[in-house]
Amino acid sequence: MVNGINLALQFLDSFAFIVLAAAGLAIIFGIMGVINLAHGEFILIGAYTATLAVTQLGLPLVVAMLVGGLVTGLFGILTERVIISGAWPNYISQQTLGRDIIEPLYDRLADSMVATFGLSLILTQGARISFGNSIDQIATPFGAISYGAFSYSTYRIVLAGVSIGLLLATYYLFTRTDFGMRARATIQDKETAQAMGVNTDRMYMLTFGIGSALAGLTGALFAPVISMQPTLGDQFLVEAFVAVVVGGPSVVLGTALSGGVLGAILATFSNLYGTFIGRIALLVAALIALRFLPDGITGFIEQLRKRRQESD
Amino acid sequence: MNRSSVSRRQFLGASGAALVTGLAGCSAGEGGTSTDTASSTDTLKIGVLEDQSGNFALVGDPKAKASMLAIEEINANGGIDGKQIETFQRDPQSDNQRYQELTRTAINEENVDALWAGYSSATREAIRPIIDRNEQLYFYTTQYEGGVCDEFTFAVGPTARQQLGIVLPYLVEEFGPDIYTIAADYNFGQLSADWVKVLANENDANVLGEEFIPLSESSFGSTINRIQEADPDFVMSMLVGANHTSFYEQKASAGLDVPIGTSTAMAQGYEHRRLDAPAMANIYAGVNYMEEVPTDSNTGDGGFVDRYFEMYPDAPYLNEEAETNYFSTYMYKKAVEQAGTTEQPEVIDALESGIELGTEEAPEAPEGETIRLDGATHHVDHHMWIMRADDDHNVEAVENRQIPETFLSETAGCNLPENPEQTQYTPVDYYEEAE
Amino acid sequence: MSRNSANGEANRSLPGRLRSRFEGPNTIGESRGFWVGFAVAVAALVVYPAFGDGSQLSLFMVLALLGLSLSVVWGYSGVLSFGQVVFFGIGAYTFGVVSINFATPGGITAAVVAGIVGGGVSAAILGYFMFYGGVRDVYVTIITLVSTIVMHTFMAQTAGSEWAIGEAALGGFNGMPDIPLLTLGIEGASYQFIYNPFPMRIIGIGSFEISPFYYLVLLLLVGTYLGLRVLVNSDYGRVMVAVREDEDRTEMFGYNVTRIKFVVFTLGGALAGLSGVLYAARNVYIDPTVFSLLFATLPVIWVSIGGRKSLLGAVVATLAIEYLRISMAGELALVLLGTLLLVTILVLPSGFVPWLHERIVETRLGPGEAGGADAPDAPSEVSD
Repeated sequence: MVNGINLALQFLDSFAFIVLAAAGLAIIFGIMGVINLAHGEFILIGAYTATLAVTQLGLPLVVAMLVGGLVTGLFGILTERVIISGAWPNYISQQTLGRDIIEPLYDRLADSMVATFGLSLILTQGARISFGNSIDQIATPFGAISYGAFSYSTYRIVLAGVSIGLLLATYYLFTRTDFGMRARATIQDKETAQAMGVNTDRMYMLTFGIGSALAGLTGALFAPVISMQPTLGDQFLVEAFVAVVVGGPSVVLGTALSGGVLGAILATFSNLYGTFIGRIALLVAALIALRFLPDGITGFIEQLRKRRQESD
Repeated sequence: MNRSSVSRRQFLGASGAALVTGLAGCSAGEGGTSTDTASSTDTLKIGVLEDQSGNFALVGDPKAKASMLAIEEINANGGIDGKQIETFQRDPQSDNQRYQELTRTAINEENVDALWAGYSSATREAIRPIIDRNEQLYFYTTQYEGGVCDEFTFAVGPTARQQLGIVLPYLVEEFGPDIYTIAADYNFGQLSADWVKVLANENDANVLGEEFIPLSESSFGSTINRIQEADPDFVMSMLVGANHTSFYEQKASAGLDVPIGTSTAMAQGYEHRRLDAPAMANIYAGVNYMEEVPTDSNTGDGGFVDRYFEMYPDAPYLNEEAETNYFSTYMYKKAVEQAGTTEQPEVIDALESGIELGTEEAPEAPEGETIRLDGATHHVDHHMWIMRADDDHNVEAVENRQIPETFLSETAGCNLPENPEQTQYTPVDYYEEAE
Repeated sequence: MSRNSANGEANRSLPGRLRSRFEGPNTIGESRGFWVGFAVAVAALVVYPAFGDGSQLSLFMVLALLGLSLSVVWGYSGVLSFGQVVFFGIGAYTFGVVSINFATPGGITAAVVAGIVGGGVSAAILGYFMFYGGVRDVYVTIITLVSTIVMHTFMAQTAGSEWAIGEAALGGFNGMPDIPLLTLGIEGASYQFIYNPFPMRIIGIGSFEISPFYYLVLLLLVGTYLGLRVLVNSDYGRVMVAVREDEDRTEMFGYNVTRIKFVVFTLGGALAGLSGVLYAARNVYIDPTVFSLLFATLPVIWVSIGGRKSLLGAVVATLAIEYLRISMAGELALVLLGTLLLVTILVLPSGFVPWLHERIVETRLGPGEAGGADAPDAPSEVSD
């Protein structure tokens, strides 16, 4: 019975971790076809910004976290303009050389990996040079909930709530706002969307900014509970990539489902056999999922839906 | 050993190489002095390869700094036997391949008379073939699992048996005999856990359970629940690395306050400075050195701590390994002066005759005490401390005494002057309870 | 085809016929000037140890084999694999395990073969799992990436003495040391390649030591490169390229695309395994960092920067980038490396060597005739 509560809380913890790790990456990958190997470093920016906002500027925790997300979002827009689309360097080169020098990285999987990998090297080492090998941490807010001989950090459970909230907010953004409508149009058919007047260029810029802001927010949210070092982004990468790919093309539903499924597997195996087995189980589950559901969970659901529609 | 009478400037892409080495020269940061090849008779050369970027930067950087501090002090006082020390210092970036290449360079091109290199045991193993092949005098200064019996390696950091050996018996006496072990899931963690079992057996304690956590793991929810379920009297923690630091924060926010004995936390990565109190409260570190060790030569006016931060005002902490780099440099000095030459075989003989250092050069030892390099095993009989952090993260010494190295000398029978070898012994081969 | 117009009657002579096997639209360089330059470069590599650090260059050449393995699998069949390092590592560990257990010249030679086979077989297993299961495109990439992480996590914890295969302890995080020195042959007729330098004296240059391992690797690298050139320029090579350009269309033409990808992936795995064997032999050591994310990304970087559709690009980029990585010191080194990667991939997306080749061909033939390497995303027509 008690172990059931343990397991439930551990599941919420894993779910939150996976969903928050994957959120920003899912949006960027799903909409732009860009693999951002600097995702961990965007999380780093958010974490450091939030931590420094509290320790140096004395901002309240929630404000500092939002600031962390915002700063990372702005940095993301900068990255998109300079590297992903190359819009600003191309603007300069148009004036001087009369032609574009950078081709956009959209849908260029390998090239976006190399470029963002280079970016990650710059950011990690840059953080190390600017701030040293570590910065002081902020304390975890809230206390613990106890039940019998056990207790769990309240904050980790709160994070589960935050992750669900983020998913809902993203869902709202993509289905109920004009921006979301235009974004989905661009995903479905870029040319037609453009023909109908959607500024796809600005769409991509904003999308990357939002994805980065989410990554930064993840960093800010986890800042109290992880070690503040330049390599802190690494611990999120595996879960993020696996969750995005297992999730499939639908951003919100895919992330939620893979967070649920993978989180359940991770929590269950860790609970029963220890963290090493838990981790291996997660990776093996991902391999199996990818093998049998090559388009991810939501891709599979989409196929089912189409088949049902056809038979109707 | 590719010795060539022709100058060994790179052949390929000469202009590219010049550009890059020019960049390397001007962005070398602190202490990256690369000097010319052969050491003349007026100088001798020491190689220092410590991680200043990459995964181990946090713990490796103080090692480099402390080595340079010792070298500067020695040079300021006339050098070794009148010879000034030159250094070949590089940052291998926590990358074992780089370590191998830089070790080759240090030995074959720079002709270092002694080499300090590496934080992790993996690094030591990666460069050991090169060390042994070239018969290079090598100091490995990190605290490690113990058991290395190698004719050219002087593993002068504290071993797991020494570190756990001071803290575990104390905790058994203070809190009770039931222990739960959590350790990083790799060689050091697993071997340390074996030593916990051996020591538990020697102290009438029992290990309720062991848990091994992958180095990449940073979520400890299930681990904390399992500790709560086992309800031990205290926990022995041999967690390693940045990801594992989260454990302490998470355990505090989960309200888990069982006492924790450790050989890895606080002294190397100064978690008690970085994490908000009371994450590290009630944690007992068994170490040979921490910045807070209360010997006069360490924390007194003009002591080791003062001198270190005078040279490096922006450094965040003076950690455990740094002191080992520091005193081992002085041990080397003594050995060279005793041998009367820098020729490595003679210096090794001098080291094997047993070198002692007092508190001035080894701040871990209190006034009047010494630490001793055991010639037969190439290890050091350290002065060990139990350092405890309270609710406000103030660190105090709880106990201290000298703990000699016993595993190699008494149990495994390592005697390098008589039987030179290149092996690593593990407790499983000698203790049933370590299975 | 430009081949005919450039060489004219050279086709009919023996050198011309021989050369034609190595030339084609899938590789760079088909003029006499190219082959002369190639010969000069190889000659330079042969004499290099007399002037520079042969030991270091031998490392880069071993890694160049790894780069070539990715180039074949990715550049020529369109499978972006992060898993080449898995086969590299399995090859290395297999070599270590077998040679430690059978530390005789015959045993070590068998260990080399075992390593190559290990790389190939593990690639075949993963390839079967992926391709015959219908996994495509980015999901292949992610699966190979996840495999790498699985290997890394798993191997790091194989520390205890229970993780030993015969006499060889896997060693976990600390790695497997004391790998026997590479010796090929059998008892009585063998030659040791590692740590067995023999001195040489040349008047005017001085005395130096020749490392047999360097020349073994050089031979293997040049041989592999030429062999792959023949392969990709053959009929099979054209099918590989067709698969890369458009899988569905190739399938419609009647080719068994799944089997082609499987075979090429296996070949790439064997080649990566060979590279791993040489790596373990050279370092006399192997540890799980070869399965790390950084090391897994390196081949992708080498091949992307060098030119993924170019074998020569893969080799040149591996040598250059590894050299830069080793020689850059100081805090800014990683920043500079990252910037270099970033700028290169943005400005020269099809890679450095193809770009260079185009510049050279342009200056020779004049603008408008250049066109050996493909433009970044322009699909080339598959001609019958």
